[in-house]
Amino acid sequence: MNFDFNVLTIHYPAVLDGLLVTLRICLFSLLFGVIDAVFLCLGKLSGRGAGYRVSVFVVDFFRTIPEVVLIFWIYSCLPLLFGARLSAEISGILALSLLVAANVAEIMRAGVQSTNPGQLEAAMSLGIPAHTIWLRIVIPPALQRMSPAFVNFLTELIKATSLLSTIGVAEMVYQANVLGNRTFAYVEFLTLVAAIYFALIFPLSLFVRRAEARLVAQKCR
Amino acid sequence: MTDKEVVIDCRNVVKTYGSFTALNDVSTSIHRGEVVCVVGPSGSGKSTLLRTCNGLETIQGGTIEVLGQHMPGTRKELETIRRRAGMVFQSFNLFDHMSIRENLVLAPITTLGLDRSTADQRAQDSLDRVGIGNQIDKYPNQLSGGQQQRVAIARALMMQPEVMLFDEPTSALDPEMVGEVLDVMRDLAAQGMTMAVVTHEMGFAREVGDRILFMADGQILVDQPPDTFFTIPTDERLTTFLSKVL
Repeated sequence: MNFDFNVLTIHYPAVLDGLLVTLRICLFSLLFGVIDAVFLCLGKLSGRGAGYRVSVFVVDFFRTIPEVVLIFWIYSCLPLLFGARLSAEISGILALSLLVAANVAEIMRAGVQSTNPGQLEAAMSLGIPAHTIWLRIVIPPALQRMSPAFVNFLTELIKATSLLSTIGVAEMVYQANVLGNRTFAYVEFLTLVAAIYFALIFPLSLFVRRAEARLVAQKCR
Repeated sequence: MTDKEVVIDCRNVVKTYGSFTALNDVSTSIHRGEVVCVVGPSGSGKSTLLRTCNGLETIQGGTIEVLGQHMPGTRKELETIRRRAGMVFQSFNLFDHMSIRENLVLAPITTLGLDRSTADQRAQDSLDRVGIGNQIDKYPNQLSGGQQQRVAIARALMMQPEVMLFDEPTSALDPEMVGEVLDVMRDLAAQGMTMAVVTHEMGFAREVGDRILFMADGQILVDQPPDTFFTIPTDERLTTFLSKVL
């Protein structure tokens, strides 16, 4: 078998279009998902009441069902329920936003709850008001502690966008399949796409490794 | 001492955790300028008593007044009292993500409305007072335990408190660092600071304390000045306790 670079040099712009779609979907689902995650996280931290129960249900539900099921369900079932069909890309962003919301809410909760209770007591004993304690004592270290888990999830999200090819979103894997169909150079296009995913995700994995090592080092000092 | 103003007044304080009674009808008061040391076996309620005086624990019975303010009061009132009553913890509880300077100026700037340069100056003065003025730009994890605890004391002093509560301030320290922290506390006492000190350091209690309270099973069993506390033990449990720690 010959690896045909020629076909790549001709058709690579379509793959780059797909990359653009991949990145756009990641960006918007992160944007909407993280906003939702803040509310879900606060709901879970509240510990009781309706807000708490709803948050626990939403987080557990969207963390447990497989991404593919969620994507198909939103794309196919929402139109049956509401009579209006969303575009494939909007459906995909909606599905992944829910995925982001549920997972990032858990990451945020873990970050906040790992706050040293002694530091909270020290801050309270100085008469510092609650909102200042949140802004200055709780959130900055929580962000630092949650960064490895968050970036780790980001790599999962990037990979999950490839599932949207199944509902016809023209992201990278979809483009690779279309170009493969047209040119029969499946191997070439899928290899290119794999290389692009690697280039996107590997630096993030390196970041996670370093950030974790840094946190461990801090604890040991 | 009794003619001086009462700074902390506990009346019939009861604190329970479920079915466990941590404080059982405790009454005592601390007057301005007094140094009161609280000793006793672990689990006797010493730390709990101290923490109730700063509103870190709620109580189920009795009353506590700190600086004339009924505790805990409203959220605002509680915050105000906490600014006037400094607290030092066993585990230092410095804000690890902030430099020593930031640890010190955060509360005065955000609660007392100090401007940055005044707060910086006060931070330098406070650190000089506890003997580590040259460490101001380091981070907590770059300091030894003794230094960290001195920073914690300096942080409490930043608020210019009228009373200081020490919750086993030397118990988490390596033995060679206990002295430097006790020295700082001794200086504070000599400068007339009103202090409540929960401690296992009998030497310190004897030397610096105006009164020593012995607690066991959530009650104050003995309340004596040091000279009689150690020499004429009036309580059998105190005798047992002293025979173990001295």
